[in-house]
Amino acid sequence: MPEDTSRWTPGATSIVGVGATDFSRSSGRSPLTLAVQATRAALADAGVDPRDVDGIVRCDMDLVSGPALADSLGARDLTYWGEAGPGGSGPAAMVAQAAAAVSAGLASTVVVFRALNGRSGNRYGLVGERGAVGGDGSYDEFFLPFGMQTAGQFFAVVARRYAHEHGMSVDKLSEGLASIALAGRAHANNNPAAQFHDRTMTREDYFASRMLSDPLRLFDYCLETDGACAVVVTSTERARDLAGGAVPIVSAAQGTGPGVQPGLMFPALLRPSTPSWPSAATAPTLFGRAGVSAADIDVAQVYDCFTITTLIQLEDYGFVPRGQAAHLGEADLTLGGRLPINTSGGHLSEAYIHGMNHVVEGVRQMRGTSTNQVTGAELCLVTSAPPPGASALILGVDR
Amino acid sequence: MIGAEDVAVRPVVPVVDDVDTGGFFEAAARGELAVRHCGGCGTDLHLPRECCPHCGELSRTWRTVEPRATLYSWTVVEHQVHPAHPTPYTVVLVELDDAPTVRLLGHLPGRPPLTVGQPMVVEFEDVEGVRLPQWRPEEESDRA
Repeated sequence: MPEDTSRWTPGATSIVGVGATDFSRSSGRSPLTLAVQATRAALADAGVDPRDVDGIVRCDMDLVSGPALADSLGARDLTYWGEAGPGGSGPAAMVAQAAAAVSAGLASTVVVFRALNGRSGNRYGLVGERGAVGGDGSYDEFFLPFGMQTAGQFFAVVARRYAHEHGMSVDKLSEGLASIALAGRAHANNNPAAQFHDRTMTREDYFASRMLSDPLRLFDYCLETDGACAVVVTSTERARDLAGGAVPIVSAAQGTGPGVQPGLMFPALLRPSTPSWPSAATAPTLFGRAGVSAADIDVAQVYDCFTITTLIQLEDYGFVPRGQAAHLGEADLTLGGRLPINTSGGHLSEAYIHGMNHVVEGVRQMRGTSTNQVTGAELCLVTSAPPPGASALILGVDR
Repeated sequence: MIGAEDVAVRPVVPVVDDVDTGGFFEAAARGELAVRHCGGCGTDLHLPRECCPHCGELSRTWRTVEPRATLYSWTVVEHQVHPAHPTPYTVVLVELDDAPTVRLLGHLPGRPPLTVGQPMVVEFEDVEGVRLPQWRPEEESDRA
């Protein structure tokens, strides 16, 4: 591995405020309204006047632009705006961009947000009446006509290959996937804001749930949600003087690794090894910049559009050796276990805000205010979707 | 009110004249399987594009390969998404025997019994004037 020549300063910037809307199946509001509500909540939490926002970072799939949000907030002047993606690969990278903008002096108060009507508006994976598909670098022509049309179908092919490469039966893999679904659900049951707050789940319930794309069942899939989340990034020095207080960004990293393939998600099926993701390339950069290892992480918010997405990342980020994540039980992954994950319920059971609710929950853990608080937690990993390219954060506690 | 059943179900057909990928579908129309191939260093380039990441050459070469492959993975789709693809159906992902770095997808109706690593062969399917290379398990008669 070549020497890391980046000059990241751990904890130079902080998250000083977090906000979220309600999570629902039908918000009855525009994405712009949702973005404004989450952002205003984050600014109030931070103790920052909305007029003072001078930077905004969005997800490349958001329907709301940086300037549109700034206008609706009444910001005096937006001096920096940026975006990251594709899609769910974005949130940690979006926070990294905000941190970079603050460190470079391009802005002082940067909002990072994601707003979507993910259930009542544009749902993912639907092939519309658009005539011939593909072309122009999308490479959809190699996938959609053959019936590969949704993220669930994609991850199902990955899951079966994972089981094959590790010499395990698909049923054994499903036991591990169930553990991840159960951990998320148990945490959601303690989180009043979670969409599945009132719905408990047993291992039997998991296995009884409908097969959607074999070997993935309904409860391997995330929710579809209307809602928004936002955070406010500023210098740690300034954050210490604000009401929200500083949650230092100890590390931030993005990575693709080699042979990432063009297009969005489906082309990842053509990489040299399908169950090996850019998160494996991101991990050494992330931990290297922080000067810590996976063993130092107390709690993790691991992107979970599907259970298999989380399972592979637990190996990519080094928490368990290759092929071992499927052997974890839900007790390993819930409060009191060796690595509590997705303590808000995550995408599987809290809400699907495309990775942004994981950032918000990471901040709560470092403040000590989670509804599933890990006692004494000092380092929290937050990851974003790995298939197109990965990004991740390590959040800490200000000393 | 017009229901979904009143609307003619159109198949999902690919763009076949893209500058980078059209050669794949041109070959399929001739009943051949072709992969993009760097004119400089000979590396197979799938997904097809002009720029070779290994030698930097820009080229538009295709090579015809044997229509035989090995099953890499698959999923049985049970949840209906697109009306043109009624469930259950199976999406297979295969590795070409002649070009092991190249993987292609295929659609099979139903839930055929499958095993990772088993031999697969091409069967061309004509859909609204477009010929798609589909993949099915090799049978005894294919080896004759």
